[in-house]
Amino acid sequence: MDADYQDFKYTMFKGVFPYSAVIGQDQLKLALSLNAINPLIGGVLIRGEKGTAKSTSVRALAAILPEIKIVKGCPYSCDPDLPYELCDYCKKFGKDHEISGRKKRVITLPLNATEDRVAGGIDFNLAIREGVRAIQPGLLADAHRGILYVDEVNLLDDHIVDIILDAAASGENILEREGISFRHPSRFILVGTMNPEEGELRPQLLDRFGLCVEVVAESDREKRILLMERREEYDTDPAGFCRKYRDEDKKTASQIMQARRFLKGVSLPKHMRTFICELCTESSVAGHRADIIMEQTAKALAALCERFEVTIDDIRQVASLVLAHRMRDPAPPPPPPPPPPPPQDKENNTPPPEESEDETQREEEQDQDQEELESNDDHKTGEDKQPEQKPSELNETKNNGTDEKNILDQIFEVGSTFRVKKITSPKDRALRRGSGRRSRSRTSQKQGRYVKSTTQRKTGDIALDATLRAAAPYQCRRKGESELAVCLKQEDIREKVREKRVGNFLLFLVDASGSMGARGRMVASKGAIMSLLLDAYQKRDKVAMISFRKDEAFVNLPPTSSVEVAGKLLKEIPIGGRTPLCAGLVKGFEQIRNYLLKEPTSRPIAIIITDGKANQAMGSGKPLEEALEFASRMALDERIQFVIIDTEDPRLVSFGLARKFAAVLNARYFKTEDLKANGLINIVKERL
Amino acid sequence: MKKKQFVYPFMAIEGQEKMKQALILNIVNPTLSGVLIRGEKGTAKSTAVRALADILPEIEVIKDSPFQLSPDDEYELHIECMRSAYNKEVSREEPVETLKRKVHVVELPVGATEDRVVGTLDLEHALKKGEKRVEPGLLAAAHRGILYVDEVNLLDDHVVDVLLDSAAMGVNTIEREGVSFSHPARFTLVGTMNPEEGELRPQLLDRFGLCVNIEGIPDSEVRVTIMERRAAFDEDPGRFCEEWEDASEDLSKRIERAIVLYPQVTIERPLLFEIASYCLDVGVDGHRGDIIILKTAKTIAAYHGRTGVIHEDIETAAGLALPHRVRRQPLQEIADDVKDFRAERISL
Repeated sequence: MDADYQDFKYTMFKGVFPYSAVIGQDQLKLALSLNAINPLIGGVLIRGEKGTAKSTSVRALAAILPEIKIVKGCPYSCDPDLPYELCDYCKKFGKDHEISGRKKRVITLPLNATEDRVAGGIDFNLAIREGVRAIQPGLLADAHRGILYVDEVNLLDDHIVDIILDAAASGENILEREGISFRHPSRFILVGTMNPEEGELRPQLLDRFGLCVEVVAESDREKRILLMERREEYDTDPAGFCRKYRDEDKKTASQIMQARRFLKGVSLPKHMRTFICELCTESSVAGHRADIIMEQTAKALAALCERFEVTIDDIRQVASLVLAHRMRDPAPPPPPPPPPPPPQDKENNTPPPEESEDETQREEEQDQDQEELESNDDHKTGEDKQPEQKPSELNETKNNGTDEKNILDQIFEVGSTFRVKKITSPKDRALRRGSGRRSRSRTSQKQGRYVKSTTQRKTGDIALDATLRAAAPYQCRRKGESELAVCLKQEDIREKVREKRVGNFLLFLVDASGSMGARGRMVASKGAIMSLLLDAYQKRDKVAMISFRKDEAFVNLPPTSSVEVAGKLLKEIPIGGRTPLCAGLVKGFEQIRNYLLKEPTSRPIAIIITDGKANQAMGSGKPLEEALEFASRMALDERIQFVIIDTEDPRLVSFGLARKFAAVLNARYFKTEDLKANGLINIVKERL
Repeated sequence: MKKKQFVYPFMAIEGQEKMKQALILNIVNPTLSGVLIRGEKGTAKSTAVRALADILPEIEVIKDSPFQLSPDDEYELHIECMRSAYNKEVSREEPVETLKRKVHVVELPVGATEDRVVGTLDLEHALKKGEKRVEPGLLAAAHRGILYVDEVNLLDDHVVDVLLDSAAMGVNTIEREGVSFSHPARFTLVGTMNPEEGELRPQLLDRFGLCVNIEGIPDSEVRVTIMERRAAFDEDPGRFCEEWEDASEDLSKRIERAIVLYPQVTIERPLLFEIASYCLDVGVDGHRGDIIILKTAKTIAAYHGRTGVIHEDIETAAGLALPHRVRRQPLQEIADDVKDFRAERISL
């Protein structure tokens, strides 16, 4: 690809909104400027609402940054001042070709990029004509000494992310594909944007971004009006508008240039380093990158203010930028050992009528517990290194009550939802259909992103580009064997491997009997269900809901993608009556089997929310035994995974019935209180 | 000889005034960023969009180019695109052949794969001539036109992402399968969906300028009219369209006048204040809401032949631009009536 064409491509955007005309967003502009001054900072992650000038600011800044020196016609943007890095083209023609300057490029990573375009691949035309394996540089070559802008970075494909991460970390892009072995320098400023509603970023990727800025919209009316007016003015006459701000833009640009020159002379006093280390340790950041980056950022800020020494205020000012996405909760203190059970366990052996006295006492204690725990509850992004919490070992003895009380016994508020940890099925090799986001799966239909090519022949989904590339180098030798310009042989054929995230099917089996209405158990369960629904929304799962009470089970919601409808229904489920647990299980099983008929390769998860106290039988037998027997039959179907959420009130006598069901069904067992993200274990075990 | 396909005339659609208004406003001012039509089945959603073909204005395009480029301001781009996509050198001395035609409505079917939407390597050419050439996709055909996406909430995520990107940037970039190419892609995105089947991601929602919620009409008189008209159309489409020709003509002319008038429309500062307050009261993310309301209000004024925006224009504009932007928890309903919603929020 012509180097000139590359430049042309990047000017095809309508014209750039002037940097100085962007209103507000001072933190964002600061983060970008600091990166322009000191590329060692390592880029910016911009988190925030839509419509807040994220991409506009990045493009605007790139437009005013000073030009870089290049060798005209060089496809790798080599720096003529670094002779040991020059590419073959520069080595051959560098001395003859002129050195010119051009603006720093902003390369936008398109969402539909395939690996060969990002990393680079074989030059097809050249290969056909001359039978050589020549490289066609990819986006990472184009981005060298520029800015790589990734919009919606949290939605990026893992394998593309890995390629970029590697290059960002090592500063070079190593190509080992399609018969080529090549490497070239690739140093760029990585700028990513994301909307946290859509899901969080993997922790490794988070850490790679030097700085993180949260953007919000302006709440001041005057500023909003000014913003509207400016936008309208720009849309009416872009050229004139840009002219108005040219001088101010030039000033910003020269400030940055000046700061770059200053940067070499900026020093960081030793006690400042200690301060930085303290800050990082306090925030419990993982690794040491934060310390290093904070130093670089503080230096850049000092350079911008034309000082040769970093001050403590500099560090304070940049701390939030550096630590925002790296802070973690400190590791929790180990739980206090349970008190030895008293010889006569008065609390638990109290017969029901006397419960009320103890109850009020217990509630008071619990309120205290809750207050304590709430203060530790701010959920922050970042790696969660809390040790796995094992659910309490419920023995059949009656000493359980006291043990449970010590472990995170909280009662949360009505309807408050919490972030749920991942429920995933591990990736296997079965081919599936679907477009959810919970589990990644190779898809059998010709849908899904074309991920890479393979020499295996299974689906007939031919990857023509890879086939042509495989055949290209041999064309000179095969000339004359066919009328077509490209002669393909069997061994050239490559097939596409497509990948798509497959959503799951979550069936909620909700116990709506009278025992649920007592003491806020239903309210608590609803909170848990809402959280799971929120998670389902993000992962694009299908949900269905069945409730059972009195003497039968109702399908409240047949399988649907509309998680909103599920949420609405949840508010309206009536409660009361006995617990026809077996009927509920039967109905649920029916629904899942029907779904499996339609989607035989799906992996449905049945989430049963109950206290297990079955007291209404379908037939003539005993309700509990009947339900247990049916459950054991359900468990025989290996395709279904079960989760039991025990809604039994932990303050009361525990019968441990839900636990029994969990054992029979081979299900993951949780109490409603356990579902908070902070202490959660992965719900689905590695089964396959 | 191909039999002419008759399309149900736009003006003959009874009721659904909001939807018709949203579509017309977008034709007058394409920078409004499209319409999302949410509603139950059988409410003339697709009919209305297809019916637009009659009333759309005419534009001039460069002949024999698949990229729908304008000979006036996109000539340079034309030369570049022809060169990089087809290795064809266009000489500047030759006069450019142009042709005038109506704005196109390009339909994106639900089963569309990414490569057809975005464009890809021209395999035939590669096999026959051994040269790389681009085969443009639907986005090239949609440039300066309307891209109609039926059941937009059922699209695969990655196709949706591609649409998002192009709609926002105005450029379609192909970086796949060995092809590296960009071309302009400014289109009006019109999407329909049935909310029972699942909601759209917030980012895609935000990219739609306007949003209209529609339902079946409860008024029996109107329902009778709808039935009568549809029956008449089915029996003799040619004659039915003839009867509505004058009305369609009038609408076309009105749209053309509005397009001319738009650049002269002005808005007083107190009204800008009103817009900002509206958005803050209702609670929207970012500033796109403000900007779209401003543009929509001005377009409404132009459509009614005025050069000054009045308060009612802003109310109408807000009702069109805000329903899908109101900040809400992911599982809450989309605001149906923005005015009531605002009153509620203020009283809280």
